[in-house]
Amino acid sequence: MPVLIKQTNQTQGEWSVAPLDQPKWQSSDTWSKGTPLILQVDEEPASEYVEASAIAIEFPAFIDGRGLSLAVLLRSRFDFTGELRAVGAVHEDILHYMVRCGFDSFELGDDRDADIALAQIAPYSDHYQASVVNPEPAFRRVNRGHNA
Amino acid sequence: MYQYDKFDHTFVAERVAHYRAQTLRYLDGKLSEDEFLQLRLRNGLYVQRLAPMLRVAVPYGTLSSDQLRMLAAIARKYDRGYGHLSTRQNMQYNWPELAEVPDILEDLASVEMHAIQTSGNCIRNVTTDEFSGAALDESVDVRPYCEILRQWSTSHPEFDWLPRKFKIAVTGATEDRAAITVHDIGIRAHRDDQDQIVFDIFVGGGLGRTPVVGVLMISGLPVEHLLTYVEAIMRVYNRFGRRDNKYRARIKILVRALTADGFRDRIDEEWMHLKSGPSTLTQDEVDRMRLHFTPPKFDTLPDFTDALAQQRLAEPEFSRWVKHNVTPHKAPGYAVVTLSTKVTGIPPGDVSDEQMDCVADWAEAWSFSELRISHEQNFVIPHVAQNKLLELWGAARAAGMGASNKGLLTDIICCPGGDYCSLANAKSIPVAESIQRRFDDYDYQHDLHELDINISGCMNACGHHHVGHIGILGVDKKGAEFYQISLGGHSGHSGIGATLGQIVGPSFARRDVNDVINKIFDVYLANRTQEEHFLNCFKRIGLEPFKESIYASSD
Ligand code: SF4
Repeated sequence: MPVLIKQTNQTQGEWSVAPLDQPKWQSSDTWSKGTPLILQVDEEPASEYVEASAIAIEFPAFIDGRGLSLAVLLRSRFDFTGELRAVGAVHEDILHYMVRCGFDSFELGDDRDADIALAQIAPYSDHYQASVVNPEPAFRRVNRGHNA
Repeated sequence: MYQYDKFDHTFVAERVAHYRAQTLRYLDGKLSEDEFLQLRLRNGLYVQRLAPMLRVAVPYGTLSSDQLRMLAAIARKYDRGYGHLSTRQNMQYNWPELAEVPDILEDLASVEMHAIQTSGNCIRNVTTDEFSGAALDESVDVRPYCEILRQWSTSHPEFDWLPRKFKIAVTGATEDRAAITVHDIGIRAHRDDQDQIVFDIFVGGGLGRTPVVGVLMISGLPVEHLLTYVEAIMRVYNRFGRRDNKYRARIKILVRALTADGFRDRIDEEWMHLKSGPSTLTQDEVDRMRLHFTPPKFDTLPDFTDALAQQRLAEPEFSRWVKHNVTPHKAPGYAVVTLSTKVTGIPPGDVSDEQMDCVADWAEAWSFSELRISHEQNFVIPHVAQNKLLELWGAARAAGMGASNKGLLTDIICCPGGDYCSLANAKSIPVAESIQRRFDDYDYQHDLHELDINISGCMNACGHHHVGHIGILGVDKKGAEFYQISLGGHSGHSGIGATLGQIVGPSFARRDVNDVINKIFDVYLANRTQEEHFLNCFKRIGLEPFKESIYASSD
């Protein structure tokens, strides 16, 4: 059974596994405000999408990074604050990238192991560059004096 | 040199642990071959014809003596006692065991090294001028900016899954030893009228199957905007680069499709939102990075010109070596030394563990423990006092690294080719060796002046054959190894972009390659004006005379 991995507490970075809900995703040509929207990785983001009840981005392959850029644009350029879900080819080893690009839920196919996936969400304590979850790069946050 | 702080140590240690866990999952059957492939590539592990190959990052080609000793120790412990200097200034091992790679990475981390993003469709190791920080013709030591780019691109959340591999090269000297215009992004640092450091940014250059010279996207970009501008380029590429055909996936194809102006419009549109945002470099950060690269404490040395001239008179071999392998240094009394790995009978770029240990010792004794790897696959000892040159030469000669052929025809750039690489159409190492044997005579080589021969075993052009004065490309003709020859390429110099070589005509069997090269030399020698180098002669007389000579007598 596919499951949903979802952030339950943003500040604590807590995640949990839940049974998959099935929002009635609408593609961009049929979507109307207040309903859940599903985007393909090659679509253009638009400002009205901030009024979606949730947005899903469908990854055609786990090595396809376009969905990462799309997520960054929705979050940081259009300030979408609702649920942003990765669907399609979601691979546990890409989760940590996805999280840093602003995804806060993942639909995990039944060929994946949810426990392994949970363990892959944050393999690193910090990163050099800015991201959606940490808009300041390390050089603005961390004292990295010559011998720090 | 850059030194890791706690932040770097933690990151690299976590990366090793992460990769170790991924390797175990793979060995446990929890990751498929294809899934693990993508993860191991991003940690430097590539599977070749005979065994896995591990590519260790040597950021911008700079190494310390301790780091090189570790590379020697790894060659001994996990490999067959040698390593290979690549054309991208990295160190490659040809025989590591997949299961042992996490241990190797841990050893590397102990000397502040890694293999992160040395393969795969991500931002690769940034390359630069191997003489950075030493060259007389340098106006900006670009290593601080290379390090800034290295950190920014390491495990970038958005840009680790690009349509194709992505290579950035940076130079800050008059002569472009980093070949920036044949990289996905090429950066030229220089000083503006107010003596401020600024960047000219080129995009869309590259070799491979569709060789293209990069186009200028912006000139005079202030330092603070470096990362946001590069981020804008990367986002446009990540979103719009083709993913349906791997031969059409490099950024050069996108630039061509959108046209240079169209591409620039896209970047500008994107950059508008990023410019002056949080990723804008702070003065503190730039200063911190520059501090890591403050020049070593050079001694005030007495003028050694006369004494060196005497030494050269007394020892003609040494004199040749000084002529070819020693380059002027910005500090008075110092010199930059290139130690050639191009010895007939040894694949270009291959170095033994003992040689690595020797080079490390020499750098420690005579160059503030600092050394470099050049894209010509040689070692560089950047800061040698001129009064130590003779001693260094003696030691290098005893260790088989004293060849006086830098820039000469036997200083061949050559990819691993069919002996190692599973993508190859043809072998390249034996071709290099047979050319070296045939034209071994120093006086003949010397008479030919500077001459770059570059050999690639396939279209991927790891041997940069398009920018060789003579380029040799392995092609497959009905299952047999053939070689296509091109003339007149160069990788750019003195603010002039690269020129791609012109193909002479139908390809040749391996046994004929040497004769063809010989004819090329004959045409050059017969046509050159006094002191005219091959490249200038070629520019003047064009391809035709070469073609005529090569194909007229081939029947
Ligand atoms: S040019 Fe081709 S044969 Fe040579 S190393 Fe690159 S991929 Fe392999």
